[in-house]
Amino acid sequence: MRVLVLNNAAPFIRGGAEELADRLVAGLNATSGVEAELLRIPFRSEPADGIVEQILLSQSLRLYNVDRVIGLKFPTYLIPHPTKILWLLHQFRQAYDLYESRLSYLCNCESGERIAQLVHSADRECFLQSKAIYTNSPVTQARLQKYNGFGSDVLYPPLLDGERFVGGEYRRYFFAGGRVGPGKRQHLLVDAMRLARCSVKLIIAGPVDDEQYGRQLERLVAQNDLSGRVELRFGFHPRDEIADLVNGALACVYLPIDEDSMGYVTMEAFSAAKGVITSCDSGGVLELVHDGQTGFVSNPDAHSLAKILDQLGGDLPTARKLGRNAKALLESKGLSWDHTIATLLDN
Amino acid sequence: MKIVIASSFVPFVNGGGRFIVEWLEHKLREYGHRVERFYLPFVDRPEDLFDQILAFRLIDVSSACDRLIAIRPPAHVLEHPAKVLWFIHHIRSLYDLWDSSYRFVPDDASGRAFRAAMMDLDTRTIREARHVFTNSQVVANRLMRFNNISAKPLYPPILDPGRFRNDGYGDEIVVICRIELHKRQLLLVEAMRHVKTAVKLRLCGTSMSPAYVELIKAMIAKHGLAGKIIYEDRWISEEEKVERLAPALAIAYLPEDEDSYGYCSLEAAHARKPVLTASDAGGVLELVTNEVNGLVAPADPRALADAMDRLFLDRGHTARMGDANNRRLSELGIDWETVIESLTS
Repeated sequence: MRVLVLNNAAPFIRGGAEELADRLVAGLNATSGVEAELLRIPFRSEPADGIVEQILLSQSLRLYNVDRVIGLKFPTYLIPHPTKILWLLHQFRQAYDLYESRLSYLCNCESGERIAQLVHSADRECFLQSKAIYTNSPVTQARLQKYNGFGSDVLYPPLLDGERFVGGEYRRYFFAGGRVGPGKRQHLLVDAMRLARCSVKLIIAGPVDDEQYGRQLERLVAQNDLSGRVELRFGFHPRDEIADLVNGALACVYLPIDEDSMGYVTMEAFSAAKGVITSCDSGGVLELVHDGQTGFVSNPDAHSLAKILDQLGGDLPTARKLGRNAKALLESKGLSWDHTIATLLDN
Repeated sequence: MKIVIASSFVPFVNGGGRFIVEWLEHKLREYGHRVERFYLPFVDRPEDLFDQILAFRLIDVSSACDRLIAIRPPAHVLEHPAKVLWFIHHIRSLYDLWDSSYRFVPDDASGRAFRAAMMDLDTRTIREARHVFTNSQVVANRLMRFNNISAKPLYPPILDPGRFRNDGYGDEIVVICRIELHKRQLLLVEAMRHVKTAVKLRLCGTSMSPAYVELIKAMIAKHGLAGKIIYEDRWISEEEKVERLAPALAIAYLPEDEDSYGYCSLEAAHARKPVLTASDAGGVLELVTNEVNGLVAPADPRALADAMDRLFLDRGHTARMGDANNRRLSELGIDWETVIESLTS
């Protein structure tokens, strides 16, 4: 089966969607009986009048020698094909939720309303013709239902490099990966280490979003004489290094404020069979972290966290058990490329 | 410089049309440029030809890069203030192949209007370019004849030619290119019925037309040629290509009035092998001169068989022609430095 993945492209810019599309194509090509290629069409969302042309251009292209297409983004997913599967990463939000909340640039131009309507009708036609529609998150799913009246199944994007997170020993350290900033509350964790009595270390590694916050953490470590127990490794690290840290941890910690997704950090830990300590206000992370089952859910304060760190620090069997459950839960959610690809090739 | 390369493609079809794009991309990066490459889907069918061309025209990269290099049609219709074309062919069924079975609209008033519209559109959009280069003199001549546009041939080199080597001159005449009707592999199979020596033929490559593949296989079976012809009906990797060419006696490449010499002729030149071609092969004749760096025979099985026997019998002459084919590369200036300098000036 020849499968063409359809994505937009902003020349010379690469982001998460590009990484995802490449990973999807690689996964498809690794599937027996499947040949896959990526089609990228340059997209310019401004000026607003250009949107009309972009819709027309996508509708005017023809695909020959292709058995199935997987569309990821507007407007490239509008290219006609009889066997079209959509995996919506997001819609053209300027014409939907942002328009409704008056945050869209379409609200500031004369023909904005008509352009938004045109996007809706082009989308509608495309959705009607699609064999199946998947969305990347409950948020996208809800928007599609609300604004277009189309149901969809959530198909979470798996880790791009899940094969790195294979697990390993349960060594005497907690690992907190991901971006470092006030929204991720690493300061609570350092504070908890001040209160905790167990001998397990804490390693924080990731790029610093907020310089001042980074310095604050450094001061917190120095002032409380924690340098022997808390290690701060700020900056971008090679993926293998991050994977090694996850694979060897006793458990991982991730405390974002009301995150709207499950978080790659959580998925990496679960893939490596590590439980995750999170907070009761961490949002989407709680979809995976169930207290006492796949990790621990703390209150967002240092005392509650310290108690959990102490408990887990002295209980290797529990750390192992949480890890096993975590991995099983991740697998049951179908968060693997094998499952994702099988789903996209089904129907 | 930030450069966008735009070209058309048919998904899942590989061949020379991709090599020229991807090798250029690679080389431009090597010369320090930032490059984004876009393959845009295109099929030359009359019912939606102009719709597709419209789509190409609407693609806007004008503010995204310092220069646009457009290669396979209809990528030349994209707009950019610094558009440079490396034009590799027209939509030939509406141009030089009009009076052939390849024509896909009737030769009546509406068909002729269709053709005129295409030519007018091409002429206007090609004229927008800052420079127009072609991959051969043949294509440059067509641009002059049909569009009244003068263009300069810029011969496409192959990537990393140093990998090709010569292990002497064995018994096999090798054909490595897509197996298609207009590449006329069948003619070579027929020629093998008439050879008088122990010369062998090796066909390698994939095909878009299963019927043609079956025809070739049937011909081999019908005439009991299995012992003389090796048919590798699959995609040949670059590494395998080197191994097939190194011990070859010569290569054969006899497309029907092709636009350019074909990468396989260059590969042969780098491996110091002569090229067997046909007198109506088009652009191949820009590279190959009869008895100098290859043999040019009429497109006829007996004449081709005779040429094959001569390559087999007179190995000294074959080797001398192989060496001459290698020298021909520098005579024509087929190298990347020339290409990069031309396309970025």
